[in-house]
Amino acid sequence: MKAITLHSIAGLTAFAVLTACSPKGGDPARQYGSDPYLPEPHQYLLPPMSVPHSVGWKSGQTPTAAAGLKVEALATGLEHPRFLYTLPNGDILVVESNSPGTEAFRPKDFIAGKVKARAGAADKGGNRITLLREVGGGSRELRSIFIDHLHSPYGVVLVGDTLYVANTDAILAFNYAPGMTQITSSGVKLTDLPAGPIDHHWTKSLTASADGSKLYVGVGSNSNITENGMAVEEGRAAIYEVDRLSGEKRIFASGTRNPTGLAFEPQTQQLFAVVNERDEIGPDLVPDYLTSVRQGGFYGWPYSYWGNHVDVRVHPQRPDLVSQAIKPDYGLSSHVAPLSLLFSQGQRLSPTFAHGAFIGEHGSWDRSPLNGYQVIFVPFVDGRPVGRPTTVVNGFLGKDNATVHGRPVGLSLDGSGALLVADDVGNTVWRVSAAQAEEFAWQTGVDKSKQANP
Amino acid sequence: MLAQRPTDNDASSNHLQGVPLRTSTLPIPARALLHGGFIGASSALLIAAFGTDCFYYTTSLSQWSNFSAWLICVGLIIMLIALILLMIDFAAGRARRLNMVSFALVLAAGLLSLVNAFVHSRDAWTSVVPDGILLSAVSAILLVAAGARGWSLALSRAAGDGL
Repeated sequence: MKAITLHSIAGLTAFAVLTACSPKGGDPARQYGSDPYLPEPHQYLLPPMSVPHSVGWKSGQTPTAAAGLKVEALATGLEHPRFLYTLPNGDILVVESNSPGTEAFRPKDFIAGKVKARAGAADKGGNRITLLREVGGGSRELRSIFIDHLHSPYGVVLVGDTLYVANTDAILAFNYAPGMTQITSSGVKLTDLPAGPIDHHWTKSLTASADGSKLYVGVGSNSNITENGMAVEEGRAAIYEVDRLSGEKRIFASGTRNPTGLAFEPQTQQLFAVVNERDEIGPDLVPDYLTSVRQGGFYGWPYSYWGNHVDVRVHPQRPDLVSQAIKPDYGLSSHVAPLSLLFSQGQRLSPTFAHGAFIGEHGSWDRSPLNGYQVIFVPFVDGRPVGRPTTVVNGFLGKDNATVHGRPVGLSLDGSGALLVADDVGNTVWRVSAAQAEEFAWQTGVDKSKQANP
Repeated sequence: MLAQRPTDNDASSNHLQGVPLRTSTLPIPARALLHGGFIGASSALLIAAFGTDCFYYTTSLSQWSNFSAWLICVGLIIMLIALILLMIDFAAGRARRLNMVSFALVLAAGLLSLVNAFVHSRDAWTSVVPDGILLSAVSAILLVAAGARGWSLALSRAAGDGL
């Protein structure tokens, strides 16, 4: 009996210790913009988490768009669609992909695997690119496997007649001619990219300079905060510049933990990135961010965050680097997981969204209550992000804040100016367009306008 | 209380404290306790975790902290098995009563190691330094002390066993 009593005391103590250490996150709005609220960092026995249960979309159910917009499904039944790219002729490329898979190094990694599966993040990706085209005046959709047998692809960019695809381990170049619906060649490797071993942050975002001479690639870190050792972080957490003709590459900027979206601001031709910051030091640390990317700039990871806020989990520390760390331009609040960056091209969607950046916030489980799981718009003035972000599409989370229907990832604008959103849990591409824009020829067969907000 | 002291003294004058003197001369077969070996195995892993923590502290090589996390995790699982077997030892009538000092040492080390498993689930340096290695060190000391008393947490039916 004594043993049983002492055992239950042990259980109760452990429970009390763990539950006492799970604080709730505050108002995300405090962390928007150039001067986000930064609480003191904490170390937990069990970091604050909230794992939503993936339930998918019921038939006819859609995300919710901002006033004046409507949402409809453009394509369903995809295999983990992550990234979208619209070709000049209006064809839409859907990159279907997921992590190449990582080994478990610690007991924690097994738990993390279960968490991912529950949240719908562990499904196998298609490792391919699917092409979508509207034919016959919008009554029918042409759908074709455009490039197959890729290796955890993510970013795609077309320069001239060459289509570049960023696999997790290399940039491949494919010859492309307008109207093609299938590429059967296996492509030519332009350059290798840092991948295994581990490949913790596997997505390689990709964009090209306006003149097409350079490609820019985002390479994420190989850990949350160097827990897999410093050696595997060589050449990671950086944005690379790749010479398009020679394939030579160099680190353009560093200290960017996971730069998942790269794009040039159309007015100033300045490179911008969205970056996923570190986890497990609090529900409101560290804010993910949008920033202009300075050549040679160091953005802190792993040694510090938001400028010179030192992260004590890293050893040995580097005060010399911390003193050089650049503060990002614009906080997006914590654990929203921005995975895509798309600059608007005028006011075809809505005058509200004429100048600025759309950002797909995939959301994560590293915070309670959950944050992200929406598409936002950050207004720009004179090439700089200003003011508050507005929500463009949400409703990916259930009203109970515990179930998840879908998670937004890649964004693109189609030929009519409608916003396309890849949803890698709902396995759908959503099309968000002006609610009154019936005159646009670009329409899908199913009319779900009644579901949109008036 | 004073009135009771002579009685206490009487009891402690037996060479086996609290054990009634056996009057029968028939030999009672001493049945081995099931849990003891598992306490030893669990302790070996938890003590080893202090060693790997020390290597991580001096080298900063993450693989040492991975070893610690595994050693603590598996050490705790084996300790849980040992505690279940301890209850079986009592239920089956093999064990007579708890060896309170050893039991307290092992239980304290187990609770500290449980906390330590969560500390070691943190990322990078602070998964070990300073909290993790401190917990590993205290657990190791408690378990070495328990080991010096023999790994058994209970007295078996054979008189004198475990003391």
